[in-house]
Amino acid sequence: MDLIWNGIVEALRLLFGGDGSIYEIAWRSLWISGVALVIAVAVGVPLGAAIALNEFGGRRVLVAATNTGMAAPPVVVGLLVSLFLTRNGPLGDLRWLYTPWAMVIAQFIIALPIVMGLSLAALQQIDVGMRQQIAALGAGRLQGFALLLREIKVALLAAVMAAFGGVISEVGAVMMVGGNIEGQTQVLTTAIVQETRIGRWSVAIALSIILMILAFGANFAMTVVQQQGRRRA
Amino acid sequence: MSASASAVPVLVARDLEVVRAGRTLAHVDALALLPGDVHVLLGANGAGKSTLLKALNGVEEAHGTLEFEGREVATAAARLALRRRTAAVFQRPYLLATSVHANVASGLRLRGASRAEARRRAAAALDLLGIAHLAGRKPDRLSGGEAQRVSIARALAVDPAVLFLDEPLAALDPPTRRVLVVELLDIFAQRAMAVVWVTHDRDEALAVGDRVSFLENGRIVQTGAALDVFAQPASASFADFLGLDAYLEGEIVNAADSSTVLRLASGVEIACREAADGPAVACLPPEDVVLFAGPPAEHSTSLRNVLPGMVKSVSPSGRLLLVVVAAECVDIAALVTRAAAEELGLEVGGSVVAAFKASAVHPIARHERRLS
Repeated sequence: MDLIWNGIVEALRLLFGGDGSIYEIAWRSLWISGVALVIAVAVGVPLGAAIALNEFGGRRVLVAATNTGMAAPPVVVGLLVSLFLTRNGPLGDLRWLYTPWAMVIAQFIIALPIVMGLSLAALQQIDVGMRQQIAALGAGRLQGFALLLREIKVALLAAVMAAFGGVISEVGAVMMVGGNIEGQTQVLTTAIVQETRIGRWSVAIALSIILMILAFGANFAMTVVQQQGRRRA
Repeated sequence: MSASASAVPVLVARDLEVVRAGRTLAHVDALALLPGDVHVLLGANGAGKSTLLKALNGVEEAHGTLEFEGREVATAAARLALRRRTAAVFQRPYLLATSVHANVASGLRLRGASRAEARRRAAAALDLLGIAHLAGRKPDRLSGGEAQRVSIARALAVDPAVLFLDEPLAALDPPTRRVLVVELLDIFAQRAMAVVWVTHDRDEALAVGDRVSFLENGRIVQTGAALDVFAQPASASFADFLGLDAYLEGEIVNAADSSTVLRLASGVEIACREAADGPAVACLPPEDVVLFAGPPAEHSTSLRNVLPGMVKSVSPSGRLLLVVVAAECVDIAALVTRAAAEELGLEVGGSVVAAFKASAVHPIARHERRLS
């Protein structure tokens, strides 16, 4: 018990003692996951909508692929991204392997099917009558799309939260493509693994607390937006 | 409410056809909507009424010619332009997950109205429908009737050239329906818009329609002024739909004195409306049949057809009773009030006399009869 207790006390000292390196790691985690998530939403929601709202050949295969992607093991994603970004790989010239951009790509690939799959499922639930009513109101394609997104706001934010939870806590892929280089590609999850391995429990606990606070804070903010209007209803 | 004969049609459809997966869901040879007219699309469930309405509204893609205010609607952009000059109310209100006021303003905002203008016109539409007090509510806090009023207010707020109503009252209870019909007819009377009203309810069609088109298997089989269409169904299937199921089968014979009779197989002659000579069936609306306990005194009635018979069955039909009289080789149905039935002492097996005017008998040429 002493080990845990001392670890927590030391962690709090590190957190409130202003240890810059810890916050630097936290910030790096946040921006890498944030950028990956923004791109995943920007690409995933329209793709999910395109699948949900249109009939075309191979649609079922795409839906099944998307659902499979939602459960893709991060290490497999890490392997794929490594293969593409390694010096001899198709995108080797970019020299992105072991940089934060490789980590953004890996997290984007992990987040994309989650955003796509959940927004697709939500849009499919919308009655075709509602879509026709929106068209009859005089909505053009983009206006109609925006109105539909507002109709699935709650589900959409749940998708964003699920994707954020997936990437901020992910360790396998970012370890493989980022390399956990101190001061460059080390993020909260990879740092926790490393500190635990070398027995620096207090630092690992401090990093874990920050990770939990970040995850809670982001989810809380999104929940507030998601639940807006419930009090007034 | 009815448009003048010289009015220019606002929307014209010619050979308009909706085909899905190789199946024709709706086809209309010609249809013209006049400003100020309420045109009812009447038919049984699955007749293609809603599909046709959505094709006319530009929501469903269709082949053929559609002209709005003299311009052909042939492209996606033209269909959007059509939708932006019209409005639709469906059977379910389909309100957006926002306030009632924002819902009513939504059509205006999508059509480019400024925030202030949308607010003003939405408030006016809410007032018109008597629901200004609901402006701040969310759709999930509205009753079915309130939600449909919001949907109608949203449609009227944009001041449409054509208002499409797809069974707008079907989900409402009868008292709400009655009130809303009266209010809507008042509103229509004040505006010069064309209205397309889809319903499967005969009474509703007669209550609201200036013109009625009857649809069957996706096609308009009869169209005309509402009263004419109801008085003279052109096909046996439409007569069926109207509940004119008391068929009289025989031969139309026009006499030299220009009176027309339907001669039944038994030789009995029934005076009827004018029709061409030849085999025919005639339908007789049960509400046009009067029952007497005994033969009516000749001078006391102008009813040309008087048939004695026996009460075959008595069954409730809404607030009235449907009495089937077996009379001279033909069954005749009559609708009577419960009080009248009591007064006549109607009971199965009892004697009764059925009488009706010649104008109540609508002959339909035999070839129109649906084969079944």
